[in-house]
Amino acid sequence: MSPSFGRGAMTNSWQDLKNSKVFLIAGSNCAENHPISMKWINRAKEQGAKMIVVDPRFTRTAAKADIFAQIRPGTDIAYLGSIIKYILDNKLYDEDFVLNHTNALLKINKNFKFEDGLFVGFDESNKKYSTEDWSYQLDAENKPVKAASLNDPDSVFTKLTEHYSRYTFETASNISGIPADKIKEIAEVFVNNRPGNILYALGMTHHTTGVQGIRAYAVIQLLLGNVGKAGAGIQALRGEPNVQGSTDMANLNGNLPGYIPYPTNAEKTLTDFAIKNGAVQHKPMVAILKAWFGKNATAENDYGYGWLPKNNPANMPTQTEFFNHMYKGQFKMLFNFGTNPSVSTPDRKMVVRGLSKIDMLVVSDIFEIETAQFWREPGVNPAEIQTEVIFLPAAFVYEKAGSMTTSSRLIQWKEAAIEPLNQSMPDLEMLDFIFKKIRDIYKNSTDPKDEPILKANWNYGHKEPALEVLQELNGYDENTGKLVASIGDYLNAPIGTVSTGNWLYTGVTGNGNLADRRDNSDPSGLGLFRGYAYAWPGNIRVLYNRLSCDAQGKPLDEAKKLIWWDSAKGIWDGNDGTDVIDKTKGPDTPEGKIGFRMTPEGLGRIFAAKYTSGLPADGSTAIPTRNAALCVDGPFPEFYEPIESPTTNILHPDVSHNPCAKIVSTEIGSVKDYPYVLTTYAILEHFCSGGITRNIPWLNEIMPEVFVEISKNLGKKLGIKDGDKVELSSLRGKLEVRALVTDRIQTLKIHDKDQETIGMPWSWGFAGLSPGPSVNNVTMAALDPGAGTPEYKCCLVNLRRA
Amino acid sequence: MTTPKTVFVDTLLCTGCKACSVACKSWNELPAEETKIITSYQSQADYTYDTWTYVSMHEKYEDGKMEWLMFKHQCYHCEDPACMKACPSEAIYKTDSGYTIIDQEKCIGCGYCTASCPWGVPKTNTEINKTFKCTGCIDRVENGLKPACVAICQSGALKFGERDEMHSLAKARLTEVKKEYPKAQLYGDNLMGGTTYLYLLLDEPQVYGIPAKPATSWSLPLWKNVVHPLGGIAIGGAALAVTAGVVANLFRGNYRSKSKDSDNIAPPQ
Repeated sequence: MSPSFGRGAMTNSWQDLKNSKVFLIAGSNCAENHPISMKWINRAKEQGAKMIVVDPRFTRTAAKADIFAQIRPGTDIAYLGSIIKYILDNKLYDEDFVLNHTNALLKINKNFKFEDGLFVGFDESNKKYSTEDWSYQLDAENKPVKAASLNDPDSVFTKLTEHYSRYTFETASNISGIPADKIKEIAEVFVNNRPGNILYALGMTHHTTGVQGIRAYAVIQLLLGNVGKAGAGIQALRGEPNVQGSTDMANLNGNLPGYIPYPTNAEKTLTDFAIKNGAVQHKPMVAILKAWFGKNATAENDYGYGWLPKNNPANMPTQTEFFNHMYKGQFKMLFNFGTNPSVSTPDRKMVVRGLSKIDMLVVSDIFEIETAQFWREPGVNPAEIQTEVIFLPAAFVYEKAGSMTTSSRLIQWKEAAIEPLNQSMPDLEMLDFIFKKIRDIYKNSTDPKDEPILKANWNYGHKEPALEVLQELNGYDENTGKLVASIGDYLNAPIGTVSTGNWLYTGVTGNGNLADRRDNSDPSGLGLFRGYAYAWPGNIRVLYNRLSCDAQGKPLDEAKKLIWWDSAKGIWDGNDGTDVIDKTKGPDTPEGKIGFRMTPEGLGRIFAAKYTSGLPADGSTAIPTRNAALCVDGPFPEFYEPIESPTTNILHPDVSHNPCAKIVSTEIGSVKDYPYVLTTYAILEHFCSGGITRNIPWLNEIMPEVFVEISKNLGKKLGIKDGDKVELSSLRGKLEVRALVTDRIQTLKIHDKDQETIGMPWSWGFAGLSPGPSVNNVTMAALDPGAGTPEYKCCLVNLRRA
Repeated sequence: MTTPKTVFVDTLLCTGCKACSVACKSWNELPAEETKIITSYQSQADYTYDTWTYVSMHEKYEDGKMEWLMFKHQCYHCEDPACMKACPSEAIYKTDSGYTIIDQEKCIGCGYCTASCPWGVPKTNTEINKTFKCTGCIDRVENGLKPACVAICQSGALKFGERDEMHSLAKARLTEVKKEYPKAQLYGDNLMGGTTYLYLLLDEPQVYGIPAKPATSWSLPLWKNVVHPLGGIAIGGAALAVTAGVVANLFRGNYRSKSKDSDNIAPPQ
């Protein structure tokens, strides 16, 4: 979403779902995996909202849908592309929105083209694109040239129309298995009911085309004007209670907290970094260095920029790839906190192989999860493994204070309800203890490489360390030592005078701990609840809400008004916080027109162009303003088959799958030996790898065992009855499990041939109170080239009676 | 005085998350039992003395359209409860709030209540000779809290309130839901004198595996009004009468086919 809208976050909130007139839930099983969503969806439904569910299986979410379509896993972009074409062909787009708030009118570089499945700039040798020609035509001031009309041959709009001309309903149906008339029905219902919401989760991201799937959603919502309004947007349902928080704090290896690009070894100085990433990243970079190195960070020493380790873009393994690097000897030690890769890693035999080669593994968890005892797995010989394994007993969520950030960017504070049991400790205290020990060991070192440890500003006390961390994230005025009061104060402060551990969180503790607020009132009735906790940025509940107003700053929908221009007071005011560049700049100023203030164009990006704003016209190397976020595998979403697919790509058979995908697994099976498509997922009763939930008897009682779900046709064909033991295999591995034969999965027609889908939940492993086979024995480790998410949702398998 | 309460179960809104079952066990401190998948995503087959509420799942595929129906089972807390009539030790009583409660002090675990209940709700722990079932969370309700199952319900399928208010809500929902589900109906309002748990069903009761016309067996009035006053000496005869009633019920199809308890506690394969 960042390349489309400027921020990589769910646009609205859970409570705002009640304002929608239609939901497209595709790539999310929210009734099972985000049960709270149904509370608000049901409220919308009681007002007549329609619910569309697209999924490879009839889920408990599908059970509540008005329209359900079963799709072949990994083919979403095919039917979404046909919906884009339908909107364009029938001129059903929101013309005012498209003209004023998207880049539809901007002219694309004449070198741009898409041919035979490849965009311009592909380098076959490293499977990467050069993005140079995915750019705009620029004027003398380096600003994009605007076409006079949408029909200009170089406009984004024209290129979009050309690109999706291939995506007819019939083509989409042949690829996805959804009947053409059903795709048309989905398109009609979604387009004709606005505001409309799209909900997705891992069903959309766990593909080698994950990022592009979300981009397809963004294109649809930009065309329909479904952004920045109550009940309209794209809701990225985060998989864990704090996954938004962990992403905000840089759980992706290309980020620092607050989505600051992680510096690479090409940016040797702070100036290099600023020139590459623009002023909008320069300031938070200095602020985070001030937070991390305190008084040791000065203008003279580049604020300690040199102490930050730099990434090497040529060697940046993500979690799935770690284990092969361990096997090759690149890593000596693994700290494993709050994750269970022994269960969760695709093609999981890599994990035990990698962990067996390191010197030391430290696991912090509340139960002895599979990863903590990887050497005990049946079939593994502990005598051959030298790895020293240390287990740190962790405190559970209710035993520690701190904040959790929900999908809605809502930072919620909680206190510890009970003391940790026995010797268990909150993670934060463990890390604090370990760091202080390390600092003590290095205290006499004069080696420059140890400076980051000795210069670090790490003085958390033991009374309320979690609050101290949140305050550090909020930031301090470095002259007065006072907490920064608001995001506005941070933005107005001269560079180097404020510190923030995460600039997005500025304001959260500026006037008391706002994350700890529990005011349940909702004066507007729109589900904003602005007195409850604190949402980044600036307690805005619906992002891009300037788009809910017309050119004069008047709400487009008076009944659901979020913000408005108050001409008497000369400010933007509202029921919600105002997502505008400057509260005092009215709709008649250039700033007051901007709906997407976090993109360099100030526009929603239908075409994800390479573009940097504020580049000096004379070609000098001054610091520019802002870079656009890019998709590494194309400026328009294009349909590619999964890496293991039962068929070739009928749009471009020579480039069947995503040409940039990172394929980690070495064994790729063929449809001849593995004729069925496997999709994996979580179910309501167990959470993630089951490390916690499979040790809770009440949850094991309501879902006691893992299973594989197959259609009745396949059951009949293979002689498998409900409850029979079966063997599920891919070229990478196999397992035995009980079969659930059900009508909830049907045989699909793909290019006139029958295609079976098989489903299996992934939350089981060999340890715990409910042990069971891990489906990741058979899954495929192939990654989305941009996000690094593995293609858990589709691979080829065989099945037989065990 | 506490006024009559009702829990309205809107099965259209139920997502089958089973949180009600877990919340019940948590509040009432009931242990987990070993289960296995019976059908669909359902693992709890029946009431047991440690399982007072559970969700059954019903898959129905007709004319290319899939329905996945959910039904939460617990004691219905009838206005005119057969179990109360059947109880030889007068352990079962009604509260002003509408609940049917077993007084554990008085219960002797004879199982007559189980045999007489058209849904087979109460279950006896034969080791301690006590019979258990949903208490309606009387301890919570009489202290101003919602029942545990209602409090945990996220989707809005369970609603708790005054009887009249819930009944008008249920009727309004039925009118709305009938537009899309012509077979939709209320279940409970005119059964067994009216039940405290009132359901909005999307299909016939049989589809959910529950009796369409639950009734007090013919032997109960006999027991209550004729035999019981004679006192303990007639217990044997009464047991016979109740047993006869159960047999009659079986023939009328008022009981679902149930697996034996031993099946229900078998370890997963």
